Amino acid sequence: MSLEKPTSIPVITEAAILEKLREIMDPEIGCNIVDLGLIYDVKIDETANVTVSMTLTTPGCPMHESIRWGAENALLKLDGIGDVQVDLVWDPAWNPSMMTEFGRAATGF
Amino acid sequence: VNTVSLHPASIKLPLAFILTGLLSLILGIGWLVGNPSILATYHYNQYVIAVTHLFVLGWLCSVVMGAMYQLVPVALETKLHSEKLAWLQLAFHIIGAIGMVWMFRVWNMKQVGHFGCVLAIGVGLFVYNITRTLRRVPKWNTTASAIAAAITWLSIAIFAGLCIAAAKCTYSADLEGEGATPPAGAVGALVACLRSVALFARHFDALNAMHAHAHLGAVGCFTMLIVGISYKLIPMFTLSEIQSRRRAALSLVLLNLALAGSFVTILVRSPWRLGFALLGLVALSIYGWELRAILHARKRRPLDWGIKYFLTAVALLLLTSVLAAVLSWPALPANPFTGQLENLYGFLGLLGSISFGVIGMLYKIVPFLVWFGRYSTQIGLKKVPALADMYSTRLQAGGYWSFLAGLCVTIPAILFSSEAFTRVGCSLLALSVASLAVNVGMILTHFAGPRPQPLSSSSPSTQALEPKPA
Repeated sequence: MSLEKPTSIPVITEAAILEKLREIMDPEIGCNIVDLGLIYDVKIDETANVTVSMTLTTPGCPMHESIRWGAENALLKLDGIGDVQVDLVWDPAWNPSMMTEFGRAATGF
Repeated sequence: VNTVSLHPASIKLPLAFILTGLLSLILGIGWLVGNPSILATYHYNQYVIAVTHLFVLGWLCSVVMGAMYQLVPVALETKLHSEKLAWLQLAFHIIGAIGMVWMFRVWNMKQVGHFGCVLAIGVGLFVYNITRTLRRVPKWNTTASAIAAAITWLSIAIFAGLCIAAAKCTYSADLEGEGATPPAGAVGALVACLRSVALFARHFDALNAMHAHAHLGAVGCFTMLIVGISYKLIPMFTLSEIQSRRRAALSLVLLNLALAGSFVTILVRSPWRLGFALLGLVALSIYGWELRAILHARKRRPLDWGIKYFLTAVALLLLTSVLAAVLSWPALPANPFTGQLENLYGFLGLLGSISFGVIGMLYKIVPFLVWFGRYSTQIGLKKVPALADMYSTRLQAGGYWSFLAGLCVTIPAILFSSEAFTRVGCSLLALSVASLAVNVGMILTHFAGPRPQPLSSSSPSTQALEPKPA
């Protein structure tokens, strides 16, 4: 019987979460949801449960369930993460000024 | 927090309708290239009527119905009443449309009537399905009203078409009650009903009745849907919103009034048809005004090619409505040039504007359908393509310019009855349709074999900067 070496528990940070969410692209616009400015808030509690508040570019977006679901899927792949909840919010409404410089350059907005 | 969930129909259903439509478009354009005299000579003959029904029933109706089965639940946040009924409708629609086009071509009006009844059963199923779906709409809005108006006009157009067929294929002796005595019971009642309809329809000039019927379908159904659905889709794709709900509603009310008035005044050849044609022009101008305001307020500044197709089609629609006013002029001489102007009006209306706009919207709908069916469950787990990565935007742009070049050549060719130039123009249109077909084929390869990639280990930000075709 051999004992496995203890591994360090990864620390879940907002930066790690945003980096993971950058893997999710808005398929219509062709830019990731972080640089599009769709992520409004990230909350991490002491047991690494994560709640993300995000919006979409338009309330009628027929892909909204897919994108929300994709964000949850991506975050659940992070080592050491607890429960993940992604909430879609519409207030404040998204506008292009919320995009990062990178997002603006990538989309031509 | 928004808790609305979407209920799109299975993607196979709208795709089956859309592919039926695309096949009809290819056949129709091929028919025009092979026989340009259809456009270059006066239009009241069996071949023009056959090819027109191929475009209207085979291409436009199929695509519009398929798109509505998918878009109505999504755009109006509800659920399709019955997908099984929709599949059943497709069978009736294909049999009815093929039969009608073929029988028009050989000018067998009795069989046109029979196949028309098959098609009408399909349309009845469609109207029932969409009506039941609309009854579930949580928030009634401009788009829902336009859809309701469009399916009402479509039903009337089909009924009017069957009346015209009945009037043409019922013998005079039968109409005067001198034919064989109708059997008793339900069949007898049906025969008596057909005789009454045929007798009534014969009060009107056949050409006027055909023109009135055509307006019900082209304006009442397709133009109404283009206007109504675009009030939802253009803001969605350009990241904008309706700027004046009152203006949007007014455009639809006036368009409905213009159509109702035009139908009656065209049918009885009243000089008042000019007034209703101008009313239609006003309605479409208000629509154009609102569309301009929506675009002015858009957050997404670059317009993609799908939107460019659509906006060009709207400009051509306005041009077509100006031509409608010219053709409604009471003192217009009845000469061969006027006949060619009428040909041009039908060509610009069905192919130049409505088809061009529908192609633009197909570039939005087909990639979305396939992406939604094949990649929506992969997002976050694998790297999935953007919609624009699923087809060639270079081909799409080529198709746009080829279509415009085709129109520029075909328009004068029709006016001056040149078969040679009509063939050249239609060949350019065919080139555009071929580019659409290739692009749809490319999109469908994702449907047959989805190609999600493993998530890249490089910075995801870099992925967003991957060059995309302009």
